[in-house]
Amino acid sequence: MPAALTHMSQSVDGLFYWVLGVITFFFVLVEVLLVGFLVRYRRTKQNLVGAAVHGNNKLEILWTLIPALILVAIGVFSVKYVYADQIAPAKPVVIQVIGHEWQWEFKYPNGVDTVNDLRVPAGQNVLFDITSADVIHGFDIPAVRLQQDAVPGRRTQFWVNVESQFVGQTFDVPCDQFCGPGHPTMVAKMQVMSPAAYQSWLQTEKQQQNSTSSNS
Amino acid sequence: MEAALKPPRRSFVREWILTVDHKKIGIMYGVTALFFFLLGGLFALLVRTDLLSYKGLFTAQSYNEFFTMHATIMIFAVIIPLLTGAFGNYLVPLHIGARDMAFPRMNALSYWLYLVSGIILLLSMVFGMPDAGWTSYPPYSVQSHGPGIDLWVMAIHLSGLSSILGAINFIVTIHKMRAPGMTYTRMSLFTWSMLVTAYMQLFGTPALAGAITTLISDRHFGTVFYNSAQGGDPMLYQHLFWFYSHPAVYIMILPGFGIISEVLPVFARKPIFGYHAIAYSSVAIGFLGFFVWAHHMFVAGMAMSTGIPFMISSMIIAVPTSVKIFNWLATLWSGSVEYTVPMMFASLGFIGSFIIGGFSGVIVAAVPLDMNLHDTYFIVAHIHYVLFGGSVMTIMAGLHFWFPKVTGRMYNTKLGYLSFWLYFIGTQVAFFPMHFLGLAGMPRRIASYNPIFQFWNDVSTIGAYMLGLGTLVIVSNLLYSAKRGRKVAANPWGAQTLEWTISSPPPEHNFDDLPVVSSNPYQPYPEPNANPNPTPSPTPAPV
Ligand code: HEM
Ligand SMILES: [Cu+2]
Ligand SMILES: [Cu+2]
Repeated sequence: MPAALTHMSQSVDGLFYWVLGVITFFFVLVEVLLVGFLVRYRRTKQNLVGAAVHGNNKLEILWTLIPALILVAIGVFSVKYVYADQIAPAKPVVIQVIGHEWQWEFKYPNGVDTVNDLRVPAGQNVLFDITSADVIHGFDIPAVRLQQDAVPGRRTQFWVNVESQFVGQTFDVPCDQFCGPGHPTMVAKMQVMSPAAYQSWLQTEKQQQNSTSSNS
Repeated sequence: MEAALKPPRRSFVREWILTVDHKKIGIMYGVTALFFFLLGGLFALLVRTDLLSYKGLFTAQSYNEFFTMHATIMIFAVIIPLLTGAFGNYLVPLHIGARDMAFPRMNALSYWLYLVSGIILLLSMVFGMPDAGWTSYPPYSVQSHGPGIDLWVMAIHLSGLSSILGAINFIVTIHKMRAPGMTYTRMSLFTWSMLVTAYMQLFGTPALAGAITTLISDRHFGTVFYNSAQGGDPMLYQHLFWFYSHPAVYIMILPGFGIISEVLPVFARKPIFGYHAIAYSSVAIGFLGFFVWAHHMFVAGMAMSTGIPFMISSMIIAVPTSVKIFNWLATLWSGSVEYTVPMMFASLGFIGSFIIGGFSGVIVAAVPLDMNLHDTYFIVAHIHYVLFGGSVMTIMAGLHFWFPKVTGRMYNTKLGYLSFWLYFIGTQVAFFPMHFLGLAGMPRRIASYNPIFQFWNDVSTIGAYMLGLGTLVIVSNLLYSAKRGRKVAANPWGAQTLEWTISSPPPEHNFDDLPVVSSNPYQPYPEPNANPNPTPSPTPAPV
């Protein structure tokens, strides 16, 4: 799996590996029983008919309840991650995300506006406020293990807090909801910056954008 | 085998076009669907071929048309018609001891509607193909130009109508036309699965019809169901669509589960383990299947916590499926397993692959994990393990199991094993790497991709070609053997359901005398010393 930039994504990976472990156990169990029975009970001269068994209620109860308990446990265990994802922390940096055919537009708190160029300050809570100007897009940041669709007329959100060890690195931000011929190339870049570098970038961008807009 | 009453020679039109015989209709469904299987497979190979290069070998627009046609054909023109139209029609009246379906003409109408729906899909290859995916989400599908989406809507409408009529027919037939003594708990498990499937089609399909009717109305009649600027809401479509299409994924597997429950006991020479558990778990799936639809929409704009009830219901729906798996395993236990071609498809092919799809389903049903994996190749892996490793494997098991009944002949078993191994290995090679791609962050439905994903894509494409080859082997083997295969007796497998008590192929009216049934068709096989012939004569219905 790619790098996990946030504490949350690391713990989601933990959940993933935990679920994968449970699943792998049952996967191996079923495959071993399947192949084992196929080989062990193959037709031979000594073994021309199978046993006259119709079923066993104790076993039925067992293999209904055990998977049910495990599956519901996986579900219940996942609930707290859902709320951690959903409830945004107080006073985050809000970046508006607008999907277009076929590019991502980002609007920063000071009015700076970029295309396919996403910058996030490390160590700060950043909230993405997501919508679309045309069709449905999917705002997906695999490196934080989160996504929300960008839906016209609706606002979706998720928040991140990127760890400072990733400062200076760049990550792909693909559109993952099918949106037409430009869908495969609708990929923004997310650059992780130190808060200071982020601030100065915002300032210079703002000046540049102001001068270009006053020139025009 | 006594020669069945020689039917008078009839013209092709009388014999096939005007037929209302459920068996002929079933065969027509089967042949038509196999044709579309080849076509849908061709589109799949185009999709995989495009992905041989990370830049994409075709234009993105063509690629979008290819994957849309691929999925639409496979779902609406292959898997559903094969499982319900072909297997269901052919087998249900025979299994319950009836002479035909309750409404034979309506049955023929279902087939012809399906054929027209398929022809419309073919026409779209001339006039413009749909390009919005089999899900066809608005607003993109409203905006998309050309007749592609309109033809798509027409085709889906007709196939939906065909499904609804078929479903009514199965429901009435199974409730009303059972032979004397055929109580519900003496029905074959395939019949149980078809009954549940029919109810799901009946209750689910209207939602799909609503979704695509509003869609076409937005496209052409100026309505704004899905135009948010004027107060519409694109999410409404998704709710309607998935209210049908989640049940539809079970429509595409339940009859397959039924096939497995027929094949395993015959070749394990044992009664099915847990008849009641298997039958009632189908009912549970049918019921729960209507309460999980929003697990396709965890990130579509609902509050994340709204996903929680759907996460829990999706976890619960995996329980009846795992109950079936354990019962099938227990059926093999202490059996006398014969490695016939249908048995290979049913055991290693189906159980061995399908569970991978079941397990990945559990992963994506967990909201926090789906937040990462939704719309990535992980989903593509999931759907192909359940639909190819699942549904298609059951179809192949069923085709190789009932082929001697339908044709009175046997296929070449060497080619049968060859195609099995091509399918089994091809499935793993084509679809397992997609898990890695999804976890690495590769989105689905993209014609070109980041070069870091190249390697596993190439592996997957090789697997796809193996599957293509396997399909050619199967289809040519069956087509050739239908005319030239070695003749076989009425019950070459020693199976116990009622169709095996009559000649192969069965006479037009099925049963000379309606059978009187006194037990379910999963009875212990007699000890070999009690019967010198190792193939016991099936006695499902001591008359
Ligand atoms: C063990 C039970 C199963 C569970 C818990 C499960 C769960 C899920 C979930 C949560 C999704 C949505 C993932 C996403 O888009 O983010 C999904 C997608 C899908 N599932 Fe399953 N699934 C199960 C079994 C099956 C079966 C038996 C089939 C069909 C035979 C099936 C066919 C599909 C298909 C076709 C999709 C993708 C639809 C699309 O977006 O194009 N699933 N499944
Ligand atoms: Cu997109
Ligand atoms: Cu579903």
